[in-house]
Amino acid sequence: MTAVLRLSYLSLRTWLRERITLFWSLFFPVFVLVLLSAIFGGADEERYMRFHIGLVNLDREAEHADFSNMVEQAFAHLAEPKAEGREQLFVLNTPGEEEDPEAFLDRTREALRQGHLAAVVVIPAGFSETVGAALHGTAAFLQAEVKLLYNHGDSGSELAASIVEQVLADLNRQVLVQANLYERDQEVPASSSWVGTADGAVRYVDFLLPGVVLMAFLTNGLFGVPGSILYARDERILRRYWVTPFTVRKYLVAYSMATLAMCALQLALLWALGSGAFGARVPLAAPLPGLYLLLSAVTFLALGFIIASLSKTANAGMSIANILNMPMLFLSGIFFPVTGLPVALQVIVYANPVTYLVDGLRVSLDVGAGKLPPWSTVVVPLLWIAVAVAVAARKLQWDVDQ
Amino acid sequence: MKQFAALTRSELTVFVRDRATFLVTFLFPLVFILIFGFIMGGEDVERVAVGIHIAEGADGEVLREVLSQRTGLEHQTFAAYHDLEKALQDREVDLGIGWDGDELSFLFDPAMVQRQGALSQLAAGVASDVNLRRQGLEEVLVAEREHVGRAAAANWFNMTVPAIIAFSILSAGVFAVSGHIAAMKERKILDRLIVTPMRPLLFLLAVMTVRLIVVYISTLITLFTAMGVFNVTFEVDWFRYTLLVAASTVGMMGFGALITLVVRRPSSAGNVANVLVIVMMFLSGIFFPVEIMPPFLQALSRVLPLTYMAAGLRHATGVIDMTGLRFFAITAALAALALVLIPALARYVVRPERR
Repeated sequence: MTAVLRLSYLSLRTWLRERITLFWSLFFPVFVLVLLSAIFGGADEERYMRFHIGLVNLDREAEHADFSNMVEQAFAHLAEPKAEGREQLFVLNTPGEEEDPEAFLDRTREALRQGHLAAVVVIPAGFSETVGAALHGTAAFLQAEVKLLYNHGDSGSELAASIVEQVLADLNRQVLVQANLYERDQEVPASSSWVGTADGAVRYVDFLLPGVVLMAFLTNGLFGVPGSILYARDERILRRYWVTPFTVRKYLVAYSMATLAMCALQLALLWALGSGAFGARVPLAAPLPGLYLLLSAVTFLALGFIIASLSKTANAGMSIANILNMPMLFLSGIFFPVTGLPVALQVIVYANPVTYLVDGLRVSLDVGAGKLPPWSTVVVPLLWIAVAVAVAARKLQWDVDQ
Repeated sequence: MKQFAALTRSELTVFVRDRATFLVTFLFPLVFILIFGFIMGGEDVERVAVGIHIAEGADGEVLREVLSQRTGLEHQTFAAYHDLEKALQDREVDLGIGWDGDELSFLFDPAMVQRQGALSQLAAGVASDVNLRRQGLEEVLVAEREHVGRAAAANWFNMTVPAIIAFSILSAGVFAVSGHIAAMKERKILDRLIVTPMRPLLFLLAVMTVRLIVVYISTLITLFTAMGVFNVTFEVDWFRYTLLVAASTVGMMGFGALITLVVRRPSSAGNVANVLVIVMMFLSGIFFPVEIMPPFLQALSRVLPLTYMAAGLRHATGVIDMTGLRFFAITAALAALALVLIPALARYVVRPERR
């Protein structure tokens, strides 16, 4: 047992001394967590959104331009820097005092076409008059149109257009309230909830953190086994063990313990960063999530052994791991949900053990609804472990001359 | 010329034999197109499936009317709230709405992070419309949308395919230097080559020639696969396309040279290149709008070469408009990056490695 513990400790120390291992096992998952949290941390709210939009009021010169000015002011208000650390929603481009609005409109339209602006709001001439007529019932079913220029297919422009529509919807209510037509106290309350969670909204970092932890474990398993055992075999380092009383079984136990220790280190680092820097609240150390994490680490280690068993050299093993890594990550729902796939890709999704483990882990952490039957999130990974043990027992070569 | 031809031949042989690089160059863009195409491209940002549940005894007519009048929105009614939850979990619907006669409740899927902003806006819009209708009012102000971009920019996929091609050029160019040449340096292969009459610049030209050929072929395969599998149409300006792909490839080799020159240890250069490539992938607006990111990341996005490469390729494939001046400025800037940094890399090739 002492020898096993000693080898396990030495393996871990060796990995921690290797820059490449430090990079992929520790730095890279941390980097992904920081990057995705920074990008999407505010995506579910308007905290970070900022759109460059154009606003042209062609009704400004009208005799009673109250309503067009109101629209203009509403957008100007949203373009002011907000209090409490919130950013402004719009950066407004409006014509200068002396500038011809029509010429400005042509210029902003071109800027939108070229992607320099996300949307352009055009208040047409006669707008205020139309609003007035609609409010006072002088014309039936009259609506005042605001032209919204946008770039279909550009997701930034689409989002900007949706937000502009929302601003106009708020203005609608404001205008109707002023005209004593709309009663705010008659509004129906609206609430939001998240499917599959017990207590309210799920923050993105809580959704992301378990996925990044599994990604880190997957990297250990897929690349670790071919990168360590096969290299040691190809360089004839393993052969030296086999002339000592140290057996393959003991070597495997030591190697597995070192891998689990590395996983624990990754978990501690990512959890500390996620909760300390980004406010993650997922209870990763609770019994059920802990068991899923352990099952994940063992499953990925087993996958690494399958790769090692089917590869003639360490380089071939690393190539197979490289090929499998991306589809396993992206066709599992680890970062984004996978929907609408053709049958061929669905087969990969359902054969992929990461799909089951990430589903089970997130349900156990209460950060999402399980898409799969709960039993499958345990049984399928266990089946993969069984297959790996069977394949490795038959195929894995422990010496170059075997 | 004979020397150049021999070096190019040998580089081509090395490239074809190097399975990992071969796969990265040809397979990864296709994997990206297929995976992201099916995961995200199939979801037209304007088409939303909404599931509704009307509680027993509540009148859901107003809600149904509001949903029917919204363009690009399909709705279906679920008899039980549990069924609505399940449909959302199974991603049969994108948004759930419950109405009990007194309160609207919107149900979201926490995993749909890439559409969260748009779905929240939709929910707010529906609530607003329901309130108006319940008080017997019509909207006074309405937004009339008008698409002003190119006709080819019909969906998310049109914007993304050229961007993925730009990303594959970035990877191939950067790793040709930070991976391939740095590895040759580390394995002391360059040390052996420099004692021959081979001129370092000629060697680099051979590497560039091979990369230009394979990257161009790879971009064509990606483009035609996207057109064939996803039925996307592009109006390609082949002159501009070819020019930009060539300038981007050598420009990114120049960028790789910069990394290799700054990060002295060859193996670390590969790691730094990996980090920079991934940073660019996420921050250049390829998959997600830059506008949802914090301001400092938006500012960073504007200085990344991939942002401009993607814009240039979108223009060359007829997806977005761009002035000729801007297009050629981007192309020239990328080519200049290569012209400045590749000669510096030639000195790196012959520089003895620190021990």
